[in-house]
Amino acid sequence: MSSTETTNDGASTKVEGLQEFTLRLRRYDPESGKPAYYEEFTIELEPHRSVLDGILQAKNDEDGSIGIRCSCRAAICGSCGTRINDKPGLACHTHLDEALKRSKDGKITVEPLGNMPVIKDLIVDMDAVHWKKQARVTPWLLPSEPLPEREHIVPREAMVDVTQSMACIQCGACVSDCLSMEIDPLFVGPAALAKTYRFVGDPRDARHQQRLNDLAQDPHGLYACTHCFNCIEACPKGVAPMSQIMRLRRIASQDHHIVDRNNGERHEMAIVNSVKKYGTLNEANMIPDSYGGKLHPASARAMLASLPVITKALLRRKVTPKSALFHPKSPDQAQIKRIYREVGEREQRLEHNLYITQPDEDPAEIAAHEAHVAAAAAREAAAKPGVDQTGAGA
Amino acid sequence: MKVAYWPGCVSRGFTPELHGAMAKVAPALGIELIELNRANCSGCGVIAEHSQELADSLNARTFALAQKEIEQGADLMMNICSTCQGAQSECQERLDASAAYRAEVNKHLTPEGLEYAKGIVNKNFLWVLVEELGLEELGKLVKRPLTDLRVGPFYGCYIVRPTDRIGIDDEHPRDSYLELVIETLGGTVVDYAGAQKCCGFPISLMQPDTSFKMAGRHLGDAKDAEADCLVTPCPLCHLNLDMQQPVVSKAVGRDLQMPVLHLPQMVGLALGMSPKELGLSKHVVKPTSVIDWSTSVVGAVGALSAA
Amino acid sequence: MPAHDVLIIGAGLAGQRAALAAADAGASVAILSKVHPVRSHSVAAAGGINAAMNPADDWRSHAFDTVKGSDYLGDQDAIEVMCSEAPNEILHLEHIGVTFHRNETGHLDLRAFGGASMKRTAYVADITGQAILHVLYEQLMKYSDRVDRYEEWFNTSLIRGDDGRCVGCVARNIRTGEMQTFTAKTTILATGGVGQAFKPTTNGLICTGDGMSLAYRAGARLMDMEMIQYHPTTMTANGFLITEGARGEGAHLRNADGERFMVHSAPNKMELASRDVVSRAEQKEINEGRGTGPLKDSVLLDVTVVPKNRVLEALREIVNLGRDFAGIDITKEPIPVRPGQHYTMGGVKTDSDGESDIPGLYAAGEVACVSVHGGNRLGANSLLDTLIFGRRSGEHAAKVAASMPMPTVSDASLRDDEREIKSIIDRPRTGRRVSEIKEELGVSMNRYCAVFRDEEGMTKGHEIVKRLQEEAKTAYIDDQGTVFNQDVLGALELGFMLDCSEAIVKSALERKESRGAHSRTDYTERNDEDWLFHLTVEKDGADAGADAKLGQSPVTITQWQPMERTY
Repeated sequence: MSSTETTNDGASTKVEGLQEFTLRLRRYDPESGKPAYYEEFTIELEPHRSVLDGILQAKNDEDGSIGIRCSCRAAICGSCGTRINDKPGLACHTHLDEALKRSKDGKITVEPLGNMPVIKDLIVDMDAVHWKKQARVTPWLLPSEPLPEREHIVPREAMVDVTQSMACIQCGACVSDCLSMEIDPLFVGPAALAKTYRFVGDPRDARHQQRLNDLAQDPHGLYACTHCFNCIEACPKGVAPMSQIMRLRRIASQDHHIVDRNNGERHEMAIVNSVKKYGTLNEANMIPDSYGGKLHPASARAMLASLPVITKALLRRKVTPKSALFHPKSPDQAQIKRIYREVGEREQRLEHNLYITQPDEDPAEIAAHEAHVAAAAAREAAAKPGVDQTGAGA
Repeated sequence: MKVAYWPGCVSRGFTPELHGAMAKVAPALGIELIELNRANCSGCGVIAEHSQELADSLNARTFALAQKEIEQGADLMMNICSTCQGAQSECQERLDASAAYRAEVNKHLTPEGLEYAKGIVNKNFLWVLVEELGLEELGKLVKRPLTDLRVGPFYGCYIVRPTDRIGIDDEHPRDSYLELVIETLGGTVVDYAGAQKCCGFPISLMQPDTSFKMAGRHLGDAKDAEADCLVTPCPLCHLNLDMQQPVVSKAVGRDLQMPVLHLPQMVGLALGMSPKELGLSKHVVKPTSVIDWSTSVVGAVGALSAA
Repeated sequence: MPAHDVLIIGAGLAGQRAALAAADAGASVAILSKVHPVRSHSVAAAGGINAAMNPADDWRSHAFDTVKGSDYLGDQDAIEVMCSEAPNEILHLEHIGVTFHRNETGHLDLRAFGGASMKRTAYVADITGQAILHVLYEQLMKYSDRVDRYEEWFNTSLIRGDDGRCVGCVARNIRTGEMQTFTAKTTILATGGVGQAFKPTTNGLICTGDGMSLAYRAGARLMDMEMIQYHPTTMTANGFLITEGARGEGAHLRNADGERFMVHSAPNKMELASRDVVSRAEQKEINEGRGTGPLKDSVLLDVTVVPKNRVLEALREIVNLGRDFAGIDITKEPIPVRPGQHYTMGGVKTDSDGESDIPGLYAAGEVACVSVHGGNRLGANSLLDTLIFGRRSGEHAAKVAASMPMPTVSDASLRDDEREIKSIIDRPRTGRRVSEIKEELGVSMNRYCAVFRDEEGMTKGHEIVKRLQEEAKTAYIDDQGTVFNQDVLGALELGFMLDCSEAIVKSALERKESRGAHSRTDYTERNDEDWLFHLTVEKDGADAGADAKLGQSPVTITQWQPMERTY
């Protein structure tokens, strides 16, 4: 950590450990009438500095017309969402050396976020996509009236839990690489659904059912997420949007018994019931069960639509009529059924939330930590008897 | 090497050729498969979506069964399905994080004398190839290199994300293993946009149009990049990419004709096995561009000229 | 031409709170911000917000702590307003959805903070500012029909009518380059501080003193500008803020010898003395050679003494900051820190309804000086300041607006500003780069107006600022375009920062004593006899190049006479 640009009294010091990096920025000037192009800038910084620092060096020293939104440089304002070597994230939160490691040709490529129109260089139109989708989910608390005189009394864990969604800084990294949105631009998307959990997970909100029903029935809503994990991977703040989406589905189907017109709930139950019955998936039943049973007209339509597939599968002996009709049961089916029963009989769902409860610590590590704290306390006590060790009292 | 082997549901259902190919290839690689016949579906993420405890209990049960085999001398647990890998890793993450939670889940297994102990090693066949067998060893076993065969890797989401849970780091670049294996087997890796994108299968029953357009885009991208075929470690991806390909073609308005191999099939071909015994004839899109069916030569033209 | 009852410039906590309050009071409202509201720097406030919520607490105790923290330069009437209204403001925030941390009984949890005589800081992990800002923006979306949002509009000047009232502003749509006059019966500045005049600073790149400068140019007085807060715990590696919440949760500060050096300057409160005291103690350790690190320019913040689970729950953000930006696991090893520029106590002089010297012009939040912070702001009082005085400004402005007609405004200012911008774009590349001047300003301010100051240094600083003001007149930029021309806005921001810097240095040179954050090595003691008043700065005359003129304003004392300040 020898390298700082200025010492505290402002004196410039010779910075050691500088390294040259080549940034390849995607440039686009809407006034030029020309298509986007790539331009390279060579910058010199310590490897642990951020890609944003690199871009700002280029902007300050070489070309002030480079367009990028940025402010805090510390991954909290959410301005500098970009794609760096094909991965979405914050430019201020990506070290130059890490970015270089992911590069295929020794250069750090920075491009604007995906799934949104580009305004200029690295600046995208968040209003046209991201904020519109936020507005779609009624993004404010709808508490029951009248309000309590003092604060709402709510479980400690519930507030910690929704703080995970609250930690979203609206940077758009998840929206950029959402694979459902790439194909279906109307999909409400990971950020807006994470925002929804911020209310559905909040015991103070009185409209959980309406919120969930609204999104469950929307063909571009709750059940249009394809479960690709891209948003979890993209999020610089650990919001894990897809995990929140899965919890919304769970609450919709299990707590509010919402049966949607997108077959989301039926599909969930089809898989759950198949494993309950057979121990494994019976693919042959997936279509009819997900469309409301073999006799349901929607199911017949779906079967008809997939007829060419089924015929071909039969033709290629991929599937035999026997295997399609008689799915084998697990020899331990009784055990599996019992597990289902035991879990189902719980009054409250048992969940282990890794955001609320930290992983167990290694016992050796705990002992070492305790020893460290005790030693520090002992040192203090010896140094000055009578001082409040926490420093908090007075 | 002896592995407690979880084949998953789909490899014994709609993609029987995968299960068959694995059974053929394993002995040739020196892998002894102890099949976990009594284990259950991983829940493919959907059971976890329905009930976390249920998914964790079902997978703890599978892990416990595997651990019995490991006690008996198996080296680790192996699966052949990206989705199983992802769904099981998710449950394992929670189970391993907390002794208290693990104990609660284990209560469901006690009546049968089963118990999951923290820290099972569960690897997809792809990881086993690179990390356990080793690429060098694999290379030595190649009898018929996939010369001039242009292969597009298709991972499936569950085996590459989230990187922390999946264990991708500098030491284990698991998101590049397919490329390494293709090269080791003598093939040419095709660089195209879809390698780590979603096949669309999870929403094929909810949003069929979106789902098929996803699959169609990747197949089309691979075609544009002049791939002869794709290879995937995920049978669910295979369903959308191969079995549904006629419908997918219609959805994107393009004749795709892109064969998709299961990973063990590709390994088997390079090991000299016949397309037929690897179940290639069961594919909806016949891998005619991969295989010269008259001579069973892989990567027909190039292989001939190389020979 | 947009015309509103209340026009708010800046959309951080103060601006958004003002907009909601004005809308609730029935006014038509416009809120204009050079960045999207959630990018505002309030987002970076980490530790929490003070209020005497605990039944065992009393707002008077909070007020006294604030007065003492201000080193008796805070105006006690305003402090009484802020502290007595604090609990209701917290409850309001809770009711609209802020996810405040709860204790085991489900009530609001409170944490310890610097300079406070008891635990009275409500918090959301260590993202309190973010959580409140985003919840206010949720409300702003809810109020879409009543509040017009102008996001990414840059304010270039305030307009005064013939009667002297502020009647609106000129602003540039950053996305299109279009200039527009905004007519308003009342205008509220909520543009934040001027941290970017210092380098390093914990402040974002957008904190360039826009509102202070614009009000000053329009003829308003600035006050307490010499009072610049250096936060005791900024990461040596990059200047980022580590929340005071860390010390609130029990973290220690140590020097190179491993000593908890706070024992010398604050034997009772130790690490939780007020910020000026802790920063001075740290700087003393560093100056006297007991600093750590290769340059001996740091002290160590030891979070390892806080239980790990508590750290991971309540201090998540700084765990991430340590890991991602310094490669340090703060739960396992101490992290090097030092004092860093953090907050501007001074600003546009207002009364406790937020109104400035100019009728119809209000200011709230860091841009304003009510003065509730005086010589030194207590941690977790800034969020409170923004919300209380944001709300009061919004309410008062709406009330005033209700009883007056919409003013008529000429487009003279618009044409002036358009010409100014064009002239910057057209400048020949013969002067210095704007970025270069900004760099020199930041380094100089941080050298001469830092934790410890003296006549000689500040005189040098003043000369540099004057020179840079001249150089800025010919400084050139690269971007010739209209769409998102951030370059030309940078040139305008440089002008704002230079105005503020001049006010800071001039006031600091003037105050010949040590009080609060203004600590002089040549006048080491507080001197109530000669200096217990505010220093004000205003423009000496109407023309653009006019000098800064100093003045005085009395300190309001209600119930707490100045006494010696010990922690």
